[in-house]
Amino acid sequence: MSAVAGLRSRIGRIERPAAARHGVLPFGLAAIDRALPGGGLALGAVHEIFGAGGDEEDGAVAAGFAAGILARLGAGPVLWCLKRPDLYGPGLAAFGLDPGRIVFAAAPRDEAVLWAAEQGLLAGKRAGLAAVVGEIGRLPMVAGRRLQLAAERSGVTVLLLRRWRSGGEAAAERGRPSAATTRWRVAALPARAAAGRPGIGMPRWQVELLRCRGGRPAAWRVEGADATGLVRVSAELADRPEPRFRPGAVRPDRGERRTAGAGGG
Amino acid sequence: MPLADALSFVPGLATAPAAPAEDAAALRRLAEWCRRYSPWTAPDGIDGIKLEITGCAHLWGGEAALAADLAARLGRRGLGHRLAIAGTLGAAWALARFADRTSALAAPGTERAALAPLPVEALRLDPATAAGLRRVGLARIGEVAAMPRDTLARRFGAAVARRLDQAEGAAPEPLSPLGETPARRVRLSFAEPLADPADLARAAARLAGELARGLARDGAGARRVELGFHRVDGRVETIRLGLARASRDPAHLAELLAARLDTVDPGDGVEDAILAAFAVEKLDPEQIALDPAAPGEDCALAPLIDRLAGEVTVGRFAAQASHIPERASAPAPPGRRPAPVAQPDKPPRPVRLFRPPQPIEAFWLLPDEPPFRFAWRRRQHRVAAADGPERIAEEWWRPGAAGSAAAIRDYYRVEDEEGRRFWLFRAGLPGAAPAPRWYLHGVFA
Repeated sequence: MSAVAGLRSRIGRIERPAAARHGVLPFGLAAIDRALPGGGLALGAVHEIFGAGGDEEDGAVAAGFAAGILARLGAGPVLWCLKRPDLYGPGLAAFGLDPGRIVFAAAPRDEAVLWAAEQGLLAGKRAGLAAVVGEIGRLPMVAGRRLQLAAERSGVTVLLLRRWRSGGEAAAERGRPSAATTRWRVAALPARAAAGRPGIGMPRWQVELLRCRGGRPAAWRVEGADATGLVRVSAELADRPEPRFRPGAVRPDRGERRTAGAGGG
Repeated sequence: MPLADALSFVPGLATAPAAPAEDAAALRRLAEWCRRYSPWTAPDGIDGIKLEITGCAHLWGGEAALAADLAARLGRRGLGHRLAIAGTLGAAWALARFADRTSALAAPGTERAALAPLPVEALRLDPATAAGLRRVGLARIGEVAAMPRDTLARRFGAAVARRLDQAEGAAPEPLSPLGETPARRVRLSFAEPLADPADLARAAARLAGELARGLARDGAGARRVELGFHRVDGRVETIRLGLARASRDPAHLAELLAARLDTVDPGDGVEDAILAAFAVEKLDPEQIALDPAAPGEDCALAPLIDRLAGEVTVGRFAAQASHIPERASAPAPPGRRPAPVAQPDKPPRPVRLFRPPQPIEAFWLLPDEPPFRFAWRRRQHRVAAADGPERIAEEWWRPGAAGSAAAIRDYYRVEDEEGRRFWLFRAGLPGAAPAPRWYLHGVFA
């Protein structure tokens, strides 16, 4: 029996090399963890995070989502490579990411941002980096694959936040295949405060897993990451039964339009 | 004499057009090469070099040996020369040009006796003054020195007395070296010229180790180092390094130097390598932590930061004690993790902050309410919910505070129909005239 078990683990390692090599970071939310191979976000791999709508240009929700992940990736420094100097430290602290951990590298062009990210990966574990974040627009396929290989070799997780200036460029890039282990899209959802309280409540996000190596696409509606970096399902979303995922399904309900999400079957 | 006359005197005379700029550059290069003896070198006029060799002569076994070594190397390069070593710059200048030997050494304290037989031109006076001195019968420096100073000053001006004092050592005359003087310097001379890059890298590593030992004795670290390779043909190739954090780690220095070694062209061979540290800072010995926790983080990151710093701007976010949002977090040098600053509890801040805040067109029902609609980047946003206001006034204690009402900001967190959240503010008091303007300062996640 042990030979079969050994064979099974070997086949598993061949099928899912990235997840097995460096471990996973679970989201703490069973619905999301079930959809990801290995039960969490693969470490030592490249993950792309897209924005939606107007956020494609600003990348604010994507940055918040990334901050929640980085907050739980240990206490080591984070190399954040960006083109536009609009990252604000105190805003990231709300998601549990201490801004003192961030070392930013500002470059004017996409190629320089990629170079800085690769340098961070080459330094890798020796420099004690917990993760590398890159904000880029155009990512050629070759560069993406090189980044993925460097991440796997060094064991440092890479989060790529994709930001563009124009919608046309965004549409072209979205359709391009990529070498990343997972591809996410996070969008802001209208949030209603608890009854009786005026104003804005906790942020709500629509988190979609567009592509996943070894998994199937899915979508979830969650509350934005809190001070510990964990996303949660709010009370009113938690008790809903999980319908089957049908891409593009529109089910008018109380005048709202939504796409139902479910864990990977 | 015109060139035609000279050619008529000596028919086979070799001539070449004068190139003063190239001559000056060659003299500079020679002065840089002379750095192998001492870091204080400078060109002197159009045909001389001055070196300050106080404290360096013992490395060559004495001043006479240093002079012999310099004369031998200059002779090997085919440069005709005259040398002099003396206790003052003025005396050395005079002896080099007017002494009867090509290599003259004046023992300390004997400048007056050594200068006495030299002609008055050796005092670095302008030709009119020197001619004036000769006209009154003063042809040697010894005779000029014997005259009373006030009569010399009355007749020829203060310059004569000043030059005499400088030559005898009564007045100071410092030497301004070419370039900066290093805080610490180590030198490696090779018996045979090296050209192989691997050998040069090994030499750089040896020098880095020696420099690190010297810095450790002083309890200091270097922020800027320069490695100069002196080639056999007299050129000097330099590698300049800046470090994010003062360092005396020989492995780190050697690695950074080796990375830039491909910019060095060794030519026919390198005979000397000199590593100089400028800008040293006090660097306390660091305790090696038993567990790989935060104290080691800055050291581990420094090599990566040094590599990135050449191409991109690297920094960290340092929290400042300020209410103004754009001042609350400032970019800081990346070398050290910024100390945490106690921040009072504040309402949530956005993830993206625009510098400067972006003006928007806002439509409101009542002047002291948040807007119900605003236009930003040519798109209309309808506000579904809003939080606020949070009033942030300017810091009146800062010099240059305008004190105007427009500096008072009322911040609102608004959410539009799609769910995106923005940080808007009204600059100025509501209801004031002219109508206060609205800006968008940041976007929330």
